[in-house]
Amino acid sequence: MNYSNLDIERSKEGQQAQTVKVRPRWHMTVLHILYYLIMAAFLIFYLLPFWGTVMTSFKTNSDVMTSTPISPPVAWTLEGYISAMEELGMPLMTSLVVTIFGAAGSVFLGSVCAYSLSKWKFKLNNLFFVALVAATYLPFQAILIPLLQTINALDLYDNVWGLVLVHAVFGMPMCTVMMRGYYADIPDALIRQAMIDGNGVWQIYRKIVLPNTMIATITTFVFQCTSIWNEMLFALVLGGYDSKPATIALNELAGTMAAEFNVQMAGSLILALPVLILYIFMGKYLISGQMSGAVTAS
Amino acid sequence: MLPVFQDFADNLYAMTFEDQGRFWMICGIILAVILVYQLLLRFAPKAVAPVHQFLKKHPLIWTCIPAALLIYFVYVSLGWNLWVSVSNWGAGELKASYGFGGFGNYAKMFTSSNFWPALKNTLLLFSLIPLCLLLGLFLALLMDQGLRGTAVFRSLILLPFALSFVVTGTVWAYMYRPTGGVLNSFLGMLGVDVSFAIKSGSLMWASSNRTIMLSIIIAMVWQFSGYVAVIFLAAIKNVPTNIINAAKLDGAYMPRIYWKMIIPELKGATGSCITILAMYALRSFDFIVSLVGYTTSSAWTLPIWMYNEAFQSNNFAYSAAISCFLLALVLVLILPLTYWTNRRKA
Repeated sequence: MNYSNLDIERSKEGQQAQTVKVRPRWHMTVLHILYYLIMAAFLIFYLLPFWGTVMTSFKTNSDVMTSTPISPPVAWTLEGYISAMEELGMPLMTSLVVTIFGAAGSVFLGSVCAYSLSKWKFKLNNLFFVALVAATYLPFQAILIPLLQTINALDLYDNVWGLVLVHAVFGMPMCTVMMRGYYADIPDALIRQAMIDGNGVWQIYRKIVLPNTMIATITTFVFQCTSIWNEMLFALVLGGYDSKPATIALNELAGTMAAEFNVQMAGSLILALPVLILYIFMGKYLISGQMSGAVTAS
Repeated sequence: MLPVFQDFADNLYAMTFEDQGRFWMICGIILAVILVYQLLLRFAPKAVAPVHQFLKKHPLIWTCIPAALLIYFVYVSLGWNLWVSVSNWGAGELKASYGFGGFGNYAKMFTSSNFWPALKNTLLLFSLIPLCLLLGLFLALLMDQGLRGTAVFRSLILLPFALSFVVTGTVWAYMYRPTGGVLNSFLGMLGVDVSFAIKSGSLMWASSNRTIMLSIIIAMVWQFSGYVAVIFLAAIKNVPTNIINAAKLDGAYMPRIYWKMIIPELKGATGSCITILAMYALRSFDFIVSLVGYTTSSAWTLPIWMYNEAFQSNNFAYSAAISCFLLALVLVLILPLTYWTNRRKA
């Protein structure tokens, strides 16, 4: 199954065959109108939460109390965003540090694993791969208590670097599975040629594999960034006050400012915006990467 | 803005260089070993020749670093957790103790009044998978009709998938508020008598024990069905055009073509979607916590129950037993799935 083509055009395969032209009939028009109605209904379902969130986030607090959530604000204001940023400023930066270093770590570890798994044969090759794939299904609750003990033993409790370490390790299986799919596309002849030229295993990795899969690496990195940015459980268990990422801060905001929905919604939008932008521009690549991962995993 | 940066930099500095003695000690030992090895390699190559030869002969030995991390943080931790669940670590104690304490925790778990509701809720969450698949298939077929604006529609229905579970939870908590929530206001705009319905106890969404799981599942379907639709659309577009044209020439109607030729081609995509959805359903802890909070026991799934026992009541051994049961449940659910997808390929 090839997921690299996520376009809405049919694949080129078989395009040479002459397309059959069917003359539109009256019932086709009726059908199309029906389709558009169904589409509009679904658009309302998918966009209603966004609409309510955006409209509420621009309201003043008294405006939230007096008007319905779906009506546009009487006077547009950034009050909610300013209050939300006061609470989320530090956590957002913590999140940024954890996300970038955690994703970089897991992509690095994952690419090393994927490279050795896909390009070299060694003993326990299959066992290692099965162990990695099984780890992608791991429910994190089953390792929380030992993890907390480990992090305590390393003196990394309530510390950004503890979160970075944990995210790097637990992001690694998914990264390996994703990158293995991309590395399989590098022709073996290229590697053999490089070996004949006298390159070692890790020289080939540095000189051939990494430069040739730059786009795959970036895709995996961005995917990993989105999942670490969105993650809450580890931060909840391992982080205290000082290393609070933005997801926890938003959750606390919803508790402490339970009545101020404009602040809550503004905070949600601030947290969602970076990932939304990434998905609008790179959505196709992120999804095809994840799917190729799921295909090799299954 | 500037003071925030200053605070953050100070904080990061403190966390990096001050609070983590043992971690830096380990890092220092590793660095020292590398340094000594490099120095020996430079000035006394004969002394480290066997090591050097070994590394040259087995370059893949470096893969042991990620492998060791994986084994320690996943498999050793699983075993440790299993041991904690049968240890004599007392309830409410923060200090760990690892003597053998019998299977009392499991007995306590199976007889607990929270057990069956939590198990039921956990399994109910998996009904998310067929719902998402059906809705996704429907949307994919709709998008395959060659209507205008399909590209825009596709990118719009994909947006919820990008959101964090925490954001979805916060937003849907606001959606589901009985009075002054987005959903009920919208229904009111459509002409539903919302205040009457609330008085008679319906339209309470996540505030009522009866509809709380339904509300959670609807919100998760909202988040994932667009994603499934995009995957299905890609798979539909991969079906070669000429066989469809041949069927059209033979006089087949479009519904029949979809049923007989296109939907059977979606098996691979379905398998991958089920895998990914199962993964997200298992990790829905963040979502339920931010939608209804930890303490709403009518929405407790096994992970949330476990979290409450461990980190709110400090019953670590008991919660380890719950998480072991969760792991067994995952194995029972996931193993047939992986077996089925593998057999399909062979």
